[in-house]
Amino acid sequence: METHAAYKSRWLPWILLLPTFVILLVFLYYPTLETFRLSLYRVAFLGLRKTFVGLANYRELLTSPVYHQVFLNTAIYSFLVVFFSMAIGLFLSVLANQRISGRSFYRLLLIWPYALSPAVAGAIFLFLFNPQAGIVNYFLQAFFKIQPDWLGQPRLALGVLVAAAVWKNVGYNVVFYIAGLQNLPGDVLEAALIDGATPWQRFWRITFPLLSPMTFFLFVMNTIYAFFDTFPFVDLLTQGGPNGATNILIFSIYRDGFRFLKTGMAAAESVVLFVGVVLLTILQFRLGERRVHYGG
Amino acid sequence: MKRLIVVLGLAALAWPAFAAKKVEITFWHAFGGGRTAFIQRMVDDFNYTHPGIQVKVEYKGSYRDTLNAAILAARQGNPPHIVQIFEVGSQLALDSGIFVPIEDYVPAELKFQLADYIKPVANYYRIKGKFNSIPWNSSNPILYYNKDIFKKAGLDPENPPKTFGEVMKACEKIEATKAAPKCITWPLHSWFVEQWIAEQGALLANNENGRAARATNVYIDSEAMRRIVKWWKEMYDKGYYAYSGKPEDWDGANQIFVSQQAAMLITSTSDVTFHQNAAFENGYHLGTGFLPIPDGVERNGTVVGGASLWLTKGHPDAEMKAALTFLLWFTNTENMVRWHKGTGYFPVLNTSVKVLDWEHWFTRNPAYKAAFDQLLQSKANRATQGALLGPFPEIRTIIENMIQAVFQGKPIDQALKEADAQADKALRDYNASVGQ
Repeated sequence: METHAAYKSRWLPWILLLPTFVILLVFLYYPTLETFRLSLYRVAFLGLRKTFVGLANYRELLTSPVYHQVFLNTAIYSFLVVFFSMAIGLFLSVLANQRISGRSFYRLLLIWPYALSPAVAGAIFLFLFNPQAGIVNYFLQAFFKIQPDWLGQPRLALGVLVAAAVWKNVGYNVVFYIAGLQNLPGDVLEAALIDGATPWQRFWRITFPLLSPMTFFLFVMNTIYAFFDTFPFVDLLTQGGPNGATNILIFSIYRDGFRFLKTGMAAAESVVLFVGVVLLTILQFRLGERRVHYGG
Repeated sequence: MKRLIVVLGLAALAWPAFAAKKVEITFWHAFGGGRTAFIQRMVDDFNYTHPGIQVKVEYKGSYRDTLNAAILAARQGNPPHIVQIFEVGSQLALDSGIFVPIEDYVPAELKFQLADYIKPVANYYRIKGKFNSIPWNSSNPILYYNKDIFKKAGLDPENPPKTFGEVMKACEKIEATKAAPKCITWPLHSWFVEQWIAEQGALLANNENGRAARATNVYIDSEAMRRIVKWWKEMYDKGYYAYSGKPEDWDGANQIFVSQQAAMLITSTSDVTFHQNAAFENGYHLGTGFLPIPDGVERNGTVVGGASLWLTKGHPDAEMKAALTFLLWFTNTENMVRWHKGTGYFPVLNTSVKVLDWEHWFTRNPAYKAAFDQLLQSKANRATQGALLGPFPEIRTIIENMIQAVFQGKPIDQALKEADAQADKALRDYNASVGQ
């Protein structure tokens, strides 16, 4: 066949692909299947002992108020993280995309937090927001005579977590948005300028729609970030407290699985998270296809 | 030439066989930082003095990581010989079935060492009359206080508060005189709750704290618990109690005390060395006292915290024997003295206490004295023996959540009732998972 002309043997491409398949199979598909299987068991001691319990773990997830709170926390937290990382990212990219002196320096600074490991970022926020010894409360005390209990109050604790996660991820969005902004077709914007469109109109009517493929891509990436990669912040800053107010799904999975050794429950939670993310991604693609404007 | 290569190759193959005459023992522990090096030095000494045995020691992360790693290794059929397991993991370790009851394996000529443990330690680690593990690092909570702040507030710097009521009164004075921004701090950790329950002679679980038979009911909705939570809530509402906001934050509490934001700190005796150094570096005078207890109850004493060393099953006899030789050497009289001086953990053998006494160690280092007297004055009963609960880590989180809920205004009765039900459920699920 013409399409296989590059390979003399029919087997060669498969052999070349084999390492990838093996890695996928061992590190991705097998663990995924195993997670599905374990979620149907009550597991003790990380698998030393197993009893089949059917859907009991899922029943508990759906009926226990503790897990209801986890699901609600996850939804609120992920929404806030995605919304603010993208909004702030876009705002900063527009500013950094202007022709001002030293803009590459600003861009470097904006991207910097992304280069930090989440553990370091979490530790920084822990120092900043310690209610007695932290620098934030030091200034608040000096100027306003208040000392909020940042990590001890449910709303404030969630706020600090969102701030940390957003601060860490804004740089990622800035990189992509700046790239997007630089590839915008100049003639359209120029035409709008000549026609007397205000900067506000130019941004919302032209720049923003033209950036929509980038926005869509970042929306998917940020959602994944909020669901999966923000574990270190919770672990370092709040341990899911106060009273479970910041216990999000990814932290709950870790805690049930490795601290409480309830591997079956953790597996069931992972499956819920997996299904949730898959559904959300499908939804995003469905909605995205209609709204996203490719090409100028 | 070819022949030479063959000979060399055979020699290379044979060489490890000669070296393998040494019995290799692996030992996993959970002490990071300076303590890793300290333990390594002790192990090096052992290897040097015991030519037939080679102990390999590894730091495996936190207590939890170490336990999890050991279970996983056992599942794969290659467990380390010796594992350090934290005290609340005792029931879990028993149930996992990967360890041997160590007392059955101690050779007759070394049995005397098991009789030498100080009473509170033996009391904790002897489960159903038998040592299942070798006690190692032991600690309990004491009060640390800043003598300079006490003086500034007009309090007696040689006489720290001993009861909840006295702490409250001291706090009123500290606030009135503005001697410090906050009065007292300790980590929001269930460990302190467990200690205060024991001090009142109360139990945390049925079947005599799970010591007579497997526990099936956790006592959170109890009078003893109500006393603790009521006082704690009042301290919090009045702004006397400070913590970082994060549960189980030992460093956060230390930070508040060391930066002199609070006059008092309750934390583990294993930090005595750290706090002595910190007081010296930050220029304040450190005092230590017994853990303050609820008013109007008789002081029963504290529960031993820390960890012990467990021996895994399924090794050849020679390795079992070598591992035991190491274990008993590692925790013998002179090494316990060395361990205590190097870390602040208790010397857990009576003979090592005698050595320290003979050296006038406690008179020369008074900060260690409160810690040790408190331990020795503990009564031996079911309360101070401490509870054995399989899902202890989860129950601790339930207790910590309950306290934070009370801080946020949930009525104490309701919070205790809900937490009690949650803990009972956790225990039921755990017991079911181990087939009980």
